Amino acid sequence: MTQASAKPGAGTEAAEQKDWTPRIVAFVCNWCTYAGADLAGTSRLQYAPNVRIIKLPCTGRIDPLFILKAFEQGADAVLVSGCHPGDCHYTSGNYHARRRWGLFRRLLEFTGIDSRRLFFSWVSAAEGQKFADLINEVTEEVRQAGPFDTSNPARKRPWT
Amino acid sequence: MDLEKMKQDAAALLEDGRANLVIGFRERAGECVPAFVTDADQADALTYDETCIANVAAYLRKPEVRSRRPVALVARPLVMRSLVLLKAEQQLTDDDVLVLGVGDDAYHGVLTLAETEKLLNDQYARLAPDAETLAEIERIEAMSPEERSRFWSEQFAKCTRCYACRAACPMCYCERCIVDRNVPQWISTAAREHGNYAWNMIRAFHLAGRCTECGACEAACPQGIPLMLLNSLLAREVRDAYGQTPGYDAEAQPVIGSWNTDDDEEFIR
Repeated sequence: MTQASAKPGAGTEAAEQKDWTPRIVAFVCNWCTYAGADLAGTSRLQYAPNVRIIKLPCTGRIDPLFILKAFEQGADAVLVSGCHPGDCHYTSGNYHARRRWGLFRRLLEFTGIDSRRLFFSWVSAAEGQKFADLINEVTEEVRQAGPFDTSNPARKRPWT
Repeated sequence: MDLEKMKQDAAALLEDGRANLVIGFRERAGECVPAFVTDADQADALTYDETCIANVAAYLRKPEVRSRRPVALVARPLVMRSLVLLKAEQQLTDDDVLVLGVGDDAYHGVLTLAETEKLLNDQYARLAPDAETLAEIERIEAMSPEERSRFWSEQFAKCTRCYACRAACPMCYCERCIVDRNVPQWISTAAREHGNYAWNMIRAFHLAGRCTECGACEAACPQGIPLMLLNSLLAREVRDAYGQTPGYDAEAQPVIGSWNTDDDEEFIR
């Protein structure tokens, strides 16, 4: 859905959509991607301010429920990022996560949350530049995709 | 199918104490309903036909049934797979259950779990997934994301959160289901869109790589939500991406919970 074709909702919602910028929730692991984001910061790299980072011990700790909750609470997109295969601080957390995401993203795609809303990446502690580029890319793609469809069943709506 | 032989076998098992309970089917008001037989002389009420679609393995987690082990179950191949899978997940041992195997027009007699596994691999190794369901999955996949979202929005709007799908499934054996946890509450329990969506996603996902596509959940759903579309989609992905079909190997590692270094990561940047 492009922003232009977004269904205008009630008055306030339409106003909200006018100055809409993507809200992206990033679930990252403590050891690689968070350190990578930290490196991007200490290197003074500029990147899009649209991402809210939530740090977890390991990508293996990222329950599909987190992703659902983020969409429910108003995220336009979710990014999940951790250590490259073989680099997991806990040996195999990212391998477990990779398999889980591989299946879960199919389920979300099938029910209307497609790959323009759900991103996965590996960012190591040394890849500050990759992190900054990734956030810029993802933000741009979500901007193209427009606000998360408020008619999607995943989204929490006010009581009527 | 030799129904008389099945009744005799059930009666004999109860008679000589090899089973304390036989769970099968009987007819009530023209419908096939589960039957719990504890006396040999009641075994005559047992029946079986293709309308007997409940997965009786779902009763094995009930305390009333657990306390009566060993239990014998009237099981078709998809139910046999559930039993093998329960064994693989350490929920059953060979001593807990016996199987009265019913297959395509055949009665396979009394089987242990090990014999059931062998029978499945010898005769039912290629249980074709339901063609109609697969076709419907492909039809939905061809839709735009907005259409898919609308389709499922309409389906999940019907959900009353009765959890009949959970009760009907032998693999939903958690003592405390995630949806019943309220501190913190991950899944809203109100029968509204977002909670219904989260519930149906998580129910399907918790069965990824564990569903034998027996269809009991969809049959149990009073609202007619096409749950098998979700289950079969994941089962198809598990087959295609990880080459596994659950319920044929009691030694198998769970699909989610194991991994390979060469698992697909096309989608990861």
